[in-house]
Amino acid sequence: MAIPIQRVTFDRTLLLVMPAALFMMLLFIYPFLYGLLLSLNPPEGDWLDNYQKFFTTDNLWPTIWTTLRLAVPVTLINVGLALPIAFKMRVHTRYQRWITTILVVPVSLGTVLIAEGMLTYFGPKGWLVQTIQFLHLYEGSIRLTHNFWGVLISLVISGFPFCFLLILSYITGIDPALARAAATLGAGRADQFRQIYLPLLAPGLAICFCLAFVQSFSVFPSAVLLGAPAGPTRVISIAAYEAAFEQYDYSLASAIAMIMGFVQLLIVAAVLGLRNLFYRGPAMGGKG
Amino acid sequence: MNNDFKELRLDGVTRRFNAGGKASFNAVSGLTLTIKQGEFIALLGPSGCGKSTALNLIAGLLPLSEGGIWLDDERIDALPPEKRGFGMVFQNYALFPHMSVMRNIDFGLRMRRTPAAEIATRVANVLKLVQLVGQENKLPGQLSGGQQQRVAIARAIVIEPPLVLMDEPLSNLDAKLRLETRSEIRRIHRELGSTTIYVTHDQEEAMSLADRILVMIDGVVQQIATPEEIYSQPANLAVASFMGYRNMLELAVERQDGERVTLAGPDVRITGTRKLPLTNGHACIAMRPEEMVVGDGPDGANTFSVHIDGVEYCGRDSLLDVTTGAGFRMHVRTNQRFAAGETVRVHVPVERVLVYPPA
Repeated sequence: MAIPIQRVTFDRTLLLVMPAALFMMLLFIYPFLYGLLLSLNPPEGDWLDNYQKFFTTDNLWPTIWTTLRLAVPVTLINVGLALPIAFKMRVHTRYQRWITTILVVPVSLGTVLIAEGMLTYFGPKGWLVQTIQFLHLYEGSIRLTHNFWGVLISLVISGFPFCFLLILSYITGIDPALARAAATLGAGRADQFRQIYLPLLAPGLAICFCLAFVQSFSVFPSAVLLGAPAGPTRVISIAAYEAAFEQYDYSLASAIAMIMGFVQLLIVAAVLGLRNLFYRGPAMGGKG
Repeated sequence: MNNDFKELRLDGVTRRFNAGGKASFNAVSGLTLTIKQGEFIALLGPSGCGKSTALNLIAGLLPLSEGGIWLDDERIDALPPEKRGFGMVFQNYALFPHMSVMRNIDFGLRMRRTPAAEIATRVANVLKLVQLVGQENKLPGQLSGGQQQRVAIARAIVIEPPLVLMDEPLSNLDAKLRLETRSEIRRIHRELGSTTIYVTHDQEEAMSLADRILVMIDGVVQQIATPEEIYSQPANLAVASFMGYRNMLELAVERQDGERVTLAGPDVRITGTRKLPLTNGHACIAMRPEEMVVGDGPDGANTFSVHIDGVEYCGRDSLLDVTTGAGFRMHVRTNQRFAAGETVRVHVPVERVLVYPPA
């Protein structure tokens, strides 16, 4: 009896992807292409004029560094803080739920609300500065708002819960039997973390870093409200905003947005490239 | 941790868990056992009986609530697992998914800062022992279940631990592989002479591997004895039930003559051997289906008529579901062919009827 040959046919369930694909087209690809074309069509001059202008104007191109100087430390602090805390929270304890809730609450606050609160509490007459001075912990003048530190703190407050939740979910996905097995083989706590948890977490940490970085690189409201938008925290999104809504040069604003996207893409690509050096598979040690 | 010890002593090892609120239950209570070097001990019991908990207590993965663990004169129950240095094989293997077979196996040696040259020879030897030569550079995910299991065993024994702990290591393998790996484990134990504690719920596995079996039910040790004794002389009704004495009848005691007890029901009269003192006028008999014989016994002893309700074909023999006239349900294993609906005479030898006080 002849065995019927199975032919690979078009799987019609693939059509279910269509609505999402359409959504992406409308909300992401179309605005992106629109912005790209707009940026290449300056009101006057050559098609690359906007980009030339960005990299030759003294209050435009340094915004890349200003933003990176803010976004990279913020991302490192968020990931670096979230990792040990999430690691501690991986085992179920009586307090785990409470601590997790408290840590996650800021995610529900808007950036503007955080800025408002910080202006009150971290300002020159706020309770934090007053307490420090009352206790004579630090005698010099303390400024935590309307400068670099204000923006940094607010980005940590709003970005930390996000990193924490993401890393917590990665950590709880690692089979605890692996650490126990390592322990029976002679690995102390430090070795269990270094040899088992860290390598298995590395790909997740890379993803977390990328998301947190993109989030803080596009900082806008807190840079205006808590920073010094004319100087030290004149981030790239402020430059784009000024071009669009103060000079009404949509074409230049689009070019700045494109450059902003490109820098983000560069960093993300570099981090994801590093991620490929690590094992990326199920974090389980055998048959479940 | 010294490798040549004389004995490992568990003394009243107890572990309590919270059962919500102030309630607690003992997962393991009062486990006392002395294991000599080189012995193979099986912890046998139904699932949820506390045998894995007991193993984790010995490994140091769980703290004891009461009791002590001693390796000769050294008390070790307060030591963390990494200081005890017992090799453990986990039920789901717990291989490090990001490390090659080689790195998995030499992990324990690297943690002990063993010189590289020694690591190389020891790993090479153990790879030969578990027959995984040539697989060193694969990741665990690229191996079959049986190979993964052998990596897990290799990883535990390469550190030459004083004690090897195995937590149902064969339960994830298919029937054929399970038999093969079982022989492997026996061979490895014979070659290395390592002291082993082996947790299983499979009585056949326990009997084929162990020098001594410890039967545990509901966290309490029921019997510690050789496989033969556990099989033929269970200490109590619970062990008998777990060891395959499926036919259990509660009957009135008619006559007691030393260990020999005769019990009677509406249509059966059975004489058996008493295992424990009987108090009230009732007793429970336990008989294995495979020790019931179709046909009349000598002088008609322990013989009765049964009606066949169903026949379960098992290949070499069949299992008959039968009832006596008064409605006692029993199982009889036979290699003769019968059909449901027939009535047959069965008997059981007096020495194979065990009599216990009712539960």
